Amino acid sequence: MNRRRTAMRITQKPPNEASPQTGPSAVRKQTNLDFLSTDPKFKRPKALVRASGHCRTLAAVLACALLTGCVTATVQEIRETDTAMTGGDTVVVLGRRSQPTTDETELDFITCVADNLDRGAQGLNVIEEQQFIDATFPWFEPRIAPLNNADLPEIIKQLPLARRLDQMQLKYLVWIEGSTQRIDQTGSMTCAVTPGGGGCFGFLSWENDSSYEASIWDVETGQNAGKISSEASGTSYIPAVIVPIPIIARVRSSACSSLANQLKAFISPS
Amino acid sequence: MTKSSPPLQCAHPPSRVFQRDRLRQAVPARRPGALPVFLAFFALVVGCAGAKVAVPIQFPTPLVEKVPLPIGLYLDEALLSYKHEESLEQRGDWEIELGSAQPSMFANLLTGMFIGYRRVQQLEGSHPDVAGVLFPSIEEVQFSTPEQSRSDYYEVWLHYRFKLHDNRGAALGAWDLTAYGKAHKQNHGGDASALQQAAMSACRDAMAFFTQQFTTVPVVQAWLAKELGAAA
Repeated sequence: MNRRRTAMRITQKPPNEASPQTGPSAVRKQTNLDFLSTDPKFKRPKALVRASGHCRTLAAVLACALLTGCVTATVQEIRETDTAMTGGDTVVVLGRRSQPTTDETELDFITCVADNLDRGAQGLNVIEEQQFIDATFPWFEPRIAPLNNADLPEIIKQLPLARRLDQMQLKYLVWIEGSTQRIDQTGSMTCAVTPGGGGCFGFLSWENDSSYEASIWDVETGQNAGKISSEASGTSYIPAVIVPIPIIARVRSSACSSLANQLKAFISPS
Repeated sequence: MTKSSPPLQCAHPPSRVFQRDRLRQAVPARRPGALPVFLAFFALVVGCAGAKVAVPIQFPTPLVEKVPLPIGLYLDEALLSYKHEESLEQRGDWEIELGSAQPSMFANLLTGMFIGYRRVQQLEGSHPDVAGVLFPSIEEVQFSTPEQSRSDYYEVWLHYRFKLHDNRGAALGAWDLTAYGKAHKQNHGGDASALQQAAMSACRDAMAFFTQQFTTVPVVQAWLAKELGAAA
């Protein structure tokens, strides 16, 4: 068994957060240099271009710092077998929804991971979760779904299911477990509205913690190809002096993109 | 509206009654949509919402080895019009309408499980074109909301009873099936959507359980042995 363990620790701003170009606070303000860009023939002096660029960078950094909190993400990988994808091979990402439980993976997290796997130049062919569950009904319903990879061969022995999986060219099943929890919350905020106007005063902060694990099962061999875990945590703040300014740490989004990137590299190493 | 009203031009200070009348005139006319908006807001604030949902009629067809017999299905009026209604203290009135989904649910289930399937209009009498007739009924429905269970889930339990008759109308036996469905509140926008999803999940669980349980029920095993033995 080829077992490899890698770990990455990333302190990052999630990629899909409000960028300086699209965020509400990043609306480009009219400056005294703007007239220069209206004349296409006019070539801006390098110093001015540099100054303008620095202003924009500074504004972008400030906007980012104001709108998003920092997230710390850790990804770990355990490889059990080699993996590879060819032409029409497909993958499905499924959430664990066993019978009564207090910890169910969020639907939008599953969708987020599947979308991220599907996207980009090295994107994989990902089958949508509900479409897969309907097409293989009842084998991946909560009551019957295999709980570990040892149960998989027994289920795949069912001829109608085996034929359907062949049609789909399904190579890997990715099971995701885990959730994002709010682990700490402090502060208070009071808001009031008067005939003359309104406002809020106070400070709120809370810490979110994401912990997800993806198990990759090889459908052809029925073996566990490996596991990837993604953990992320971050603190969000809302200071308010008349106007509340939310500084949100996108913890789940960061865990999703970290997990999806690592999954993509794991399943289809280039 | 206030701006367009004529200014007060009185030689003497107006009486209080007159002032009140003028103020009434100055108040904009009530818009027709204002009352429903106010009532909705009031209901939201008070929080006695409840929900009324119907299970959607889209069900998958099971992907299983088919029983090599044709089967009949009898759905009575009690099942076709089945509604579960419950009033919860301080949580309003709740209704889960299950009846309208039963024909498509059982049609898909039996189409996937048997080589042939047909709805029969009466339980008694002879049905020579099928090997037996299945007669399902809902015995009990329960549900819980996150407030009741102190969890994050809306949950629904269904208790079905299945009766099997031979193709001459004689009762062969019955068995029970209990199904469960849940929906996490964070995945849904409100009570109705989450409860509907939990009820839908319970119906799918009933179908899944039926596919696994059917050939293990003693009544069914005896019927299969007789019918398949006769066919051989």
